[in-house]
This record gives sequence, structure tokens and C-alpha cells, in this order.
Amino acid sequence: MLRYLLSAIMALTLVSSQVWAAETYVVASDCTWPPMELLDANKQPVGFDIDFIRAVGKAAGFEVDVRNIAWDGIFGGVATGQYDIVAAATTITEERKKQFDFSDPYYEVAQAVVLPAGKSIKALADLKGLKVGGQIGTTGIFVMRKSGVNVDLKEYDDVGLAIQDMINGRLDAVVCDDPVALYYVNKKTDTAGKINIALVTEEKEYYGFTVKKGRKDLVEKLNRGIKEVRASGEEARLLEKWMGKK
Amino acid sequence: MEDKKEGSKANIVMVTDGASIPDPREWRLINAWSIALAGAVCALCMLCVLWPEPYLRILLYLPDGVLITFKITLLAICCAVPLGLITGLGRISRNRCINLLASTYVEVIRGIPLLVQIFYIYYALSRFVQVSGITSAVVAISFCYGAYMGEVFRAGISAINKGQTEAARSLGFNRYQTMRLVVLPQAMRTILPPVGNECIAMLKDTSLVSIMAVPDIMQRARSFVGTTYLYFETYTMVALLYLIITLLLSKAVSIMESRLNYYDAK
Repeated sequence: MLRYLLSAIMALTLVSSQVWAAETYVVASDCTWPPMELLDANKQPVGFDIDFIRAVGKAAGFEVDVRNIAWDGIFGGVATGQYDIVAAATTITEERKKQFDFSDPYYEVAQAVVLPAGKSIKALADLKGLKVGGQIGTTGIFVMRKSGVNVDLKEYDDVGLAIQDMINGRLDAVVCDDPVALYYVNKKTDTAGKINIALVTEEKEYYGFTVKKGRKDLVEKLNRGIKEVRASGEEARLLEKWMGKK
Repeated sequence: MEDKKEGSKANIVMVTDGASIPDPREWRLINAWSIALAGAVCALCMLCVLWPEPYLRILLYLPDGVLITFKITLLAICCAVPLGLITGLGRISRNRCINLLASTYVEVIRGIPLLVQIFYIYYALSRFVQVSGITSAVVAISFCYGAYMGEVFRAGISAINKGQTEAARSLGFNRYQTMRLVVLPQAMRTILPPVGNECIAMLKDTSLVSIMAVPDIMQRARSFVGTTYLYFETYTMVALLYLIITLLLSKAVSIMESRLNYYDAK
């Protein structure tokens, strides 16, 4: 009897705690994209995006539960409602906008071409005939495809593997977002000094938080939060913390 | 020398993780194999005809991936079957050294997941040797399946009645001749179907190589999903494609099996 009573109480607490707590949104991030998102020594997601979405949540009045999800399936999960928000350095593109809704842009990037130290190119066209790598399904890959330059495009599961393969000599170049390229060139101890950024594209891209199509309420909350984070100076603090920008 | 072959065949039961090979004596039109194949082909055609966008577009995106998958599978079969034979012979060798070597190889490889082996050969060993993605894939899969097949070969050879060897030896064959001319030809009949089975399993396992940026079927599909976000549609097509390929191959293995067992046919 006691067992039934106890389990009933436990079930009740579980249900009620979900009802009474401030609204919690599950946020998916692919923690292989430093410094936007990465895992710290305790395997916890950290990074600019993670701090930013937490700050947005605080400003807009919701709790954030960040989960590490592989990039490959991250959009599938938000479409089926396994999580509410993708905060994973996602560039707002026309193709993506057809399937998902985005918050206002919160960060501007461009694509960087990373080459082994000492090598350089003047334009994307100089990559012709070379083996170029990037992370599967990222805008770096799209930019190379769209450029029409005839390269042997290798799509890796994460950008770190591509960089490693280039250092090992099996790849000629890696294309990724410029903050990520900067991180590998300057900050990451085992790659710094071995690679350099040869080119940054003129065309800018803008990161946005991704939600399921039609979730206007959430988009509105995110936009309100982003505005507030900017106004309060929190954004500047995060930029300094993660990008070293003033 | 042909006595007891039925008995020797019955001695071994091979359990593998491969596709189920249709029974060659199963002649009825409606069986599991034909239902699966007809269903898969119909589904594929219907999807492509009724909704050419996006299903036909997906199907047209995949062929170069199919070629790479076949290429890796064929190369890996060419390496794994001889490796398996050598390992199998090594496992029954009376030479302690060779036996130990073969057995250790099987134990070590069987204990490491193929995905880990692929990562190891491509990313970990790249510190010492640099090989392309496809070469690493072929090496990893050959080593892995060489060990599995070694066990199949060993079981097949041990299942041949000892009387066969004794008869051959007493007729003046040396040990090499006995193995090559008497034991192996008989063992082949029991060995080939499970080896065929392993080859089909191998084809399915090539889907793991997409982590090395090798553009096989799976990688093509993931790349397609990466731009269109059509998870359901793309992976449905990929599943159907793999299913049709393995069903056709398992039929081929089944036909081969019935040819080998021609004289056993009831």
C-alpha cells in the first residue's frame, strides 16, 4: 500500500513541477562548432550561442535546457518537435526558410577558406581541381557548390575532422564560418600555427535561431529577447568573452 | 569419398547477421522474398511516379553513391575472401605459431566494432600512413570481414568428415593435396552460402564509411538532406534502394547455393 502511495506522490510531484515551473524550452545545439558551441571539459555545452540563447531566455522569461545533437539530424528534430529551438550557428538561408521559421539575425559571419600554413589563394576559383572539405550540410559546402568552381568536395561529419584531415595532408582546403576558422587558426592549440585563413568571402551570412514552421509565439519571444540582450549590453559582454571583440 | 556428405552438412549450423538467403527449393510464387522485392520495387516506382518531386529528384541524386558502394563492396570482397580462407586454414593449422596468430587476429578484430576500426584506420593511423577514404574503407571492411569469414571457413572445413582426409592420405596425397583437392572442394558447398551472406552484410556495412567523407549512398543521402531537410523522403528512398540491392544479391546467393547442391536436390 505504502508503495502505491509513494509512487502516486512521486507522479504527482513530477507532473506538478512541470506545470508550475517557468516555461522551459529545449534547445538543440551541435557542439562541434567552436567558439559558437563546443563541449567544455565537463562535457557541458558552452559557447557564444549557448550563452546568447540563455541570455535571451532570461530576458524573454523562459528557461533553457540545452542538448547536444548531431548536426546531421538537428533540423529533423526541430521539425518533429523533439526540441523547440536550434541554436547552432545556423545561417538563415532561403532554402531553410521554406521549411523552418527563424528569429531575427543575431550574428554576422562570412565563409573562410582555411589552407595549410604558408599557402594562399586569391579567389575561390584558385581552388579548382583541389580537394576541399567542410562539414556536411553547412553553408561552407553550399557556397562551394554555388560558386561553380570545379573542386572535389568532401563532406565530413564535423569540421574538426576536416581540419585534422587537412593537417594530415589528405585535404587541400577547408571551408567554414569565419569565427570557427579563426578559432582553429588562433586558439586551438593542436591546430594553431599549422593552418591559416587564406580568404574570406565578401558575401555575409546571418545566424538565426531556428524553430518549427508556424511557431510565431516563440519567434516573437526570441526576437524580444535578442533586442533586450543587445540593449542591455549583454551582447557586447558575450562578444568579448567568446570572440575577443570590443 | 562422397559418402556421409549429408551428415557432415547437418553437423554445422551457421548463424550470421547477414540477409536471410531464400531457400532455393522454395518455388512458390508468393514467398517472403518475392513479397519484399515486389513491395520495395512497387513502393519505389509509385513514389517516383506519383510524387516525382522530391522522390525522383532524390533517386537521381544517388546513382554515383551506388557506384561507390559497389566499388567498396567488390574490392572488400576480393580482399576479405582470401583473407578469410587463410585465416580459416590458420585456425585449423597444427603449427602452433600460425594457429595462434590466426586465432589472435580473429579475437582482436571480432572484439572491435567496425565503426571504430574505420575511425582508427582513417583518423588514428593517419599519423603514420596516409591513405584515401576509399582505401581505408576497403582495408577496414576487409580486415573485419576477413575475421568473420575465417570462422566460416574454419567451421566449413572442420565439418568435412575426417574419413575424407584419412582416405586421401592413405591413397598417397600429401597434406596440401588433401586439403586442396579433397577437403576444400567439398567444404566450399557449405562455406559459400554463408560467405555470400557475409558479403551482403558487408554491402550494408559500407554505409558506415560515410563518416570518412566517402560519397557512398548514405553520404549522398545525408548531403541531400543537408540542403533540402527532407529527412523522411530521402531516407525512405535510401532504405528501399538498399533493400532492393540486398534482395537481388540474396537471390543470387540462393541460386548459387542451389547450383552447388545440384546432386543433393531432392
